Amino acid sequence: MEMFLYIALFAPLVGSLFAALFAASPKTLIAGVVPSLLLFISFIASSILLAYVLQTGGAIHVEMMTWMATGDLYIPFGFVVDQVSVTMMMVVTLVSTVVHVYSIGYMDHDKGFNRFFAWLSAFVFSMMILVMSDNFAGLFIGWEGVGLCSWGLIGFWYHKESATWAANEAFIMNRIADLGMLIGIFLVYWNTGTLQYEQAFAVMPSLDTEILTWMGIFLFIGAMGKSAQFPLHTWLADAMEGPTPVSALIHAATMVTAGVYLVVRANPLYDLIPDVGLFIASLGAFVAMFAASMALVNRDMKRIIAYSTLSQLGYMFVAAGLGAYWVALFHLMAHAFFKALLFLGAGNVMHAMHDELDPFKMGGLSKVMKGTFVMMTLASVALAGLFPLAGFFSKDLILEVGFVQHHYIIYSVLLFTAGLTAFYSFRLVALIFHGEERYKLFGIHPHEAYKFMLIAMSPLLLLAIVAGAMKMTYFEMVTAVLPATEYHIHSEITYWIMTIGTQLFVIAAIAFAYKKYALSKVDVPDGSSDMEKSFIYKLLYNQYYIPRFYENYFVKPYREMSHAFWKEMDILLVDATVDGIAKFIYNTGENTRDMQSGNLSTMLKWMVAGTVALLSLAVVFALAVRYLGV
Amino acid sequence: MLDHILSILIFFPALAAMFGFVIHKDSIRAYGIAVSAIEFVLALWLWFGFDSAVSGMQFMEFIPLIPSFGINYILGVDGISLFIIILAAFFTLIGIASLTDTKNVKNMIITLLFLQMTMVGVFVALDAIVFYIFWELSLVPMLYIIGAWGGPLRIYASVKFFLYTFAGSLVMLVGMLFMAYFYYQATIDPMTGVGVWSFAILDWYRLILPENFQLWLFAAFFIGFAIKVPMFPFHTWLPYAHGQAPTIGSVILAAILLKMGTYAFIRFSLPLFPDASVYFMFPIAIIAIVMIIYTAMVAYAQEDIKQVVAYSSISHMGVIILGTFALNVEGITGSIFLMIAHGVVSGALFLLVGVIYDRRHTKMMSEFGGLASVMPRYATIFGLMLMASVGLPLTINFVGEFLSLLGFYQQSHMITLIAGTAIIVGAIYMLAAYKKMFFGEVTNEKNKNLPDVNKRELVALIPLSIITIWLGIYPKPILEPINNSVESVVQLMHDKAITDEAKSRIPNLIKEVEEVEISITSVEGAH
Repeated sequence: MEMFLYIALFAPLVGSLFAALFAASPKTLIAGVVPSLLLFISFIASSILLAYVLQTGGAIHVEMMTWMATGDLYIPFGFVVDQVSVTMMMVVTLVSTVVHVYSIGYMDHDKGFNRFFAWLSAFVFSMMILVMSDNFAGLFIGWEGVGLCSWGLIGFWYHKESATWAANEAFIMNRIADLGMLIGIFLVYWNTGTLQYEQAFAVMPSLDTEILTWMGIFLFIGAMGKSAQFPLHTWLADAMEGPTPVSALIHAATMVTAGVYLVVRANPLYDLIPDVGLFIASLGAFVAMFAASMALVNRDMKRIIAYSTLSQLGYMFVAAGLGAYWVALFHLMAHAFFKALLFLGAGNVMHAMHDELDPFKMGGLSKVMKGTFVMMTLASVALAGLFPLAGFFSKDLILEVGFVQHHYIIYSVLLFTAGLTAFYSFRLVALIFHGEERYKLFGIHPHEAYKFMLIAMSPLLLLAIVAGAMKMTYFEMVTAVLPATEYHIHSEITYWIMTIGTQLFVIAAIAFAYKKYALSKVDVPDGSSDMEKSFIYKLLYNQYYIPRFYENYFVKPYREMSHAFWKEMDILLVDATVDGIAKFIYNTGENTRDMQSGNLSTMLKWMVAGTVALLSLAVVFALAVRYLGV
Repeated sequence: MLDHILSILIFFPALAAMFGFVIHKDSIRAYGIAVSAIEFVLALWLWFGFDSAVSGMQFMEFIPLIPSFGINYILGVDGISLFIIILAAFFTLIGIASLTDTKNVKNMIITLLFLQMTMVGVFVALDAIVFYIFWELSLVPMLYIIGAWGGPLRIYASVKFFLYTFAGSLVMLVGMLFMAYFYYQATIDPMTGVGVWSFAILDWYRLILPENFQLWLFAAFFIGFAIKVPMFPFHTWLPYAHGQAPTIGSVILAAILLKMGTYAFIRFSLPLFPDASVYFMFPIAIIAIVMIIYTAMVAYAQEDIKQVVAYSSISHMGVIILGTFALNVEGITGSIFLMIAHGVVSGALFLLVGVIYDRRHTKMMSEFGGLASVMPRYATIFGLMLMASVGLPLTINFVGEFLSLLGFYQQSHMITLIAGTAIIVGAIYMLAAYKKMFFGEVTNEKNKNLPDVNKRELVALIPLSIITIWLGIYPKPILEPINNSVESVVQLMHDKAITDEAKSRIPNLIKEVEEVEISITSVEGAH
C-alpha cells in the first residue's frame, strides 16, 4: 500500500517537472497530456487507498525521511492516509484530473500552454502534501506550496497588470495569515514538544485552556487566509484574473478549502475549545451572508461564482466550528464537485463569448450551448441545495447542525443565505442562458466548447447529482477518526416542516430570479436605473468599499511610510549622523593643523598655552583631592 | 596532510595569488579558476574528514608566536565554522568562474585570492589576535575591489566602508586586550604572583567573569560585530558599498563578509558573556525587529534592484541575529543555517542583478518590465531565488528562518510575532520588485532583444539553484554538525551563567544525564 501512497503523491510532481521541461518551448500537446495521465494515475492510486481504508478501517502511515532535526525538534517527511486525508485526496485528484483534461482544450490557443501544466500539476502536488502530511510542518510546506502555485497561476497572463497585481495581493494576504499559522505551529511545538499530529493531539487535553485557545486562534488565522474568510477575503475575487480552470481547481474546489481541512484535521484541539469553535462558526455564518450579498449585484460572471465559493466556505466553517467536522468535510466534497463544474461551465461560456464576463451582455445562450447549459443549471441546482442533488444533503445538514445545537441566529442567517444563494445562482443562469440574445449587439458568434471538454466535465456532473446518496457510507467511513455525532431533529414533524420550508423558500428565490432576469426584458445596465443609484447597490457593488479601504489605509500608508523611512530616516537621519561624526573628526583635524605649522614662534605659543593648561589642571585636581577628598 | 589542512586552506590562495603576479593576463582566468577549484576541493575534503559526531574543535593547529604575551597561531574548526569556510571557497570559485570581462582582470583575481585567505582565516582562527588580524585584513581587498572597479561614487563608498568597520573593530580590539588582561588576573598564581597571558579563545571560554565586566566587554565586542553585520543603526555603509561595488564584490560581501559579524557573536559574545547575552537579549531583539521591518520597508521603497537586494540582506540579518539571541539550540542552529542560506541566496541574487546590469548597464527597475517573456530562463532562476528569499518551505532559507523564529519563540512570544512579519514584508518588497522587472508588457525598446542567461552565467547560477533546493529538502548533512557544536556552546553558556535569569533562560541540555546518574546512585543505595 505504501507504494500507492507514493504514486498518488509523486505522480503530479513528475507531471509538473515533465511539463516544465517544455516550459520555454512552443505549445506541445504532450506537455498537457502526460501530466493529465499522471494525475489520472494518481487518482487511481488514491482510489485504491480509499478502498483499502474502507476495507480495513485503518490508516497507512509512512515516514519517508528526516527533514529537520535539531535540539529537541524532529520533523520528518511523514505521510498519513486515513479516512480524512483519503477523502481529500479523492476530491483533489478527481477534480484536478478533470480540470487538466479540460484545460487541454481550454488552453489550446495559449502561448503558455506548457508552462500552464507545469504550474497546475505543481499545485496538485503541493495540495497532496498539504492533505497527506502527518505533521504541522509538512502541512505548512503544502500550505505555502499551494500559495506559490496560486501566485503563479493567478498571474499566469503576466503581461496583464491586473493579473500580476491580483497574484501579488493573493500571495501577500495569504502570507499575513501564514504568520498566524506559523505562530500556531510554534505554540504547538513549545507546548507539546512535537509537531506530529498524533502525539501533539494526545498531549493537548493536559494543557492549559488558555494556551489551547491561543493555539486554536492562531491556527485558525492561518485557515482564514487560505479560505479567504473576512477580513482576508478580498484576494479571492481578484484571483479570478487567472485562467478559468485555475479558478475551478484552486479557487473553488481545493486550495480554498485547505482552511476547512485544517480545522477538521485539528478537531481534537478544537473540541477542547468550544468557544473558539463558536467564534469560527459565527464568522462562517457572517461570511456566508456577507459574500452572498456581494454576489447579488455583481456583473462579472466569475466573481459571482467566487463570492458564492466564499459563501459556501462560510457554511463549511459553521459546521466545523460547531464540532460537526464530518458535515464540514462532506459539504467540502460536494461543493468541490458542483462548484468546479460551475466554473468549468463558466469557462465554456467565456470562450464562447470571447472572454466577455458580463452576463448582461449574454442571454439566450442555451440555444447554442446545450451541454454547458444543462451542466451549469444542474450545478446551480446543486448549489442552491434542491433535492435530490448533492447540495441538498450537505447544506441542509449544516442548517440542521445549527438548529440542533440551538444556535438559532446562525441557523436563520444560513437559511436566509440559502435563499440568496438560490437567487444569485439563477440570476446568473437566467442572464446567461435565457432571455434575448443580447450578445448579438456586440457582434459575437458563440459556439459550444470541444466535445471532449464536455465529456471531461461529466464525472463532476454525475457526482454533483449523486454525491448525496453516498452520505451514509461516507459517514461510517470518516467517523472512524472524526467525532461521530449525528444531527437529528427530535421531532419528525419539525424536521419535515423545516426541510420542506427550506425547499420552498429556495424555489421561490429561484422563481423570482427567473421572473426578473429570464422572463422580463433585461437591459445592459448603464448606471442610469434607480436601483443602480441606490446606496445599497453601490455598497454591494463596491464590495462594501473594503478593497478601497485597504488601498487607502494599508497599502498607501505602507508605501508612503516606506518612502519616508528611506528618504527621511535612513538618508537624512541615520546616515547623515554617521557622516556628521566623520566630518566633525575631519574638521577637527583640519582646524588644528595650524598648530603644527612648523613656525617656531606659533609652536612656542601653543606650547606655553598647553603647559599652562596642564598645570592649572594639576592644581585644580590637587586642590580637589585635598579639600573634597575625591 | 589533514593535520595542516586549515593552514593550507588559508595560505594556499595567498601563495597562489603571489604567483599570480607572474602569470600572463590571458591565462589568469584559467589560473584563478584552477586555484579556487583546488581550494574548494580542499574545503570539501575538510568536510569529508570532519567528524560530525564531535562537537568540539577539530584539526587544531598550534604554533607559538609570542608566547610571553599569550599570542599564538591557533586554528581549529567546528560545526559552526565549517560550512561558512566551504561557502567562502565555493563563492570564490563561482565568483571567478563567472567573472565578466572587466578591466584589469588580473588584479581582480589576485585580489579575490587574497580576500579568500582573510575570509578563511577569520573563520578558523582560535586566537583573538590572529582572528583580529584576519578580520582587519579582509577590509583591504574589499576596499580595493570597491575603489578600483566600483561605480561613480566608489571612493566615497569604499572609504566609508573601510573607516566605519575599522572604527568598530578598534573598540573590539580594546575589548580583546581587556579579556587577555582578565585572564592574566584570573590565573595569577598566589605563590609567585605571576599570571598567564592568553589570547586563545578556548582559554577564554573557561573564564567566568562578574556580570558588570561582562556587560562592558559585551558592549565593546558588540560595536565591532554590529557594524560588520550590519545592525541598525550602523547599517548605512552597506547600501553604498553594494551600490558602488562591482557584482563580484557585492556577492562576496553579502555571502561571506557579513557573516563574520554574526559568526563572531556566536564564537565570542555568547560563550564568553552568557549573562550579558541574556541581559542584552531583549534590546538586541528589538534592534533585530527594527532591522527586519524597517529595512524591509526601505527595500520596498527602492528604485534600484541592487539596493532592494542590499536592504533585504539587512532584513535577513535581523532574523539571524534574533535566532542567535534565542540562546537555545533550535535558534542558534537556525541562525547558523540561515547564514549559509542567506549567503547562497543573496549571493545568487547579486549575481542575477549582475546579469541584467551587464546587458543594460542600469539597475533601475523602471527601465525594465516584461522581462519574463524576453528572458524566460533568467526569470525562472530569479523567481526561484526570490521564493527562497521570502522563505518558502523546501528552499534553503525556510529552514533557517523557521528554526530561528521557532527558537526565539521560547524567549518571547510577542517579539517573535512581530519579527515573524519578516515573512510578510519580505514578500512585499520582493514580489513588488519582481513584478516591476519581469511582468507586464515590454515597453522599453532596449529590452526587446536581450539575450537570455548565457553558459558562463549558468555555471554560477545552476549550482546555486541546486543547493537552494537540495538543502531546503534535505538540510540534515549541514544541520547535524551545526547542531552538535551548538549544543556544546549552549551547554557551556548554561554552565558558566551566574545570574539566575541567565540560568533559566539558557537551557540545560544534560538534564537527562543527571537523572541517570541519580538513578545509578539510588540503585547502589538499595544494595
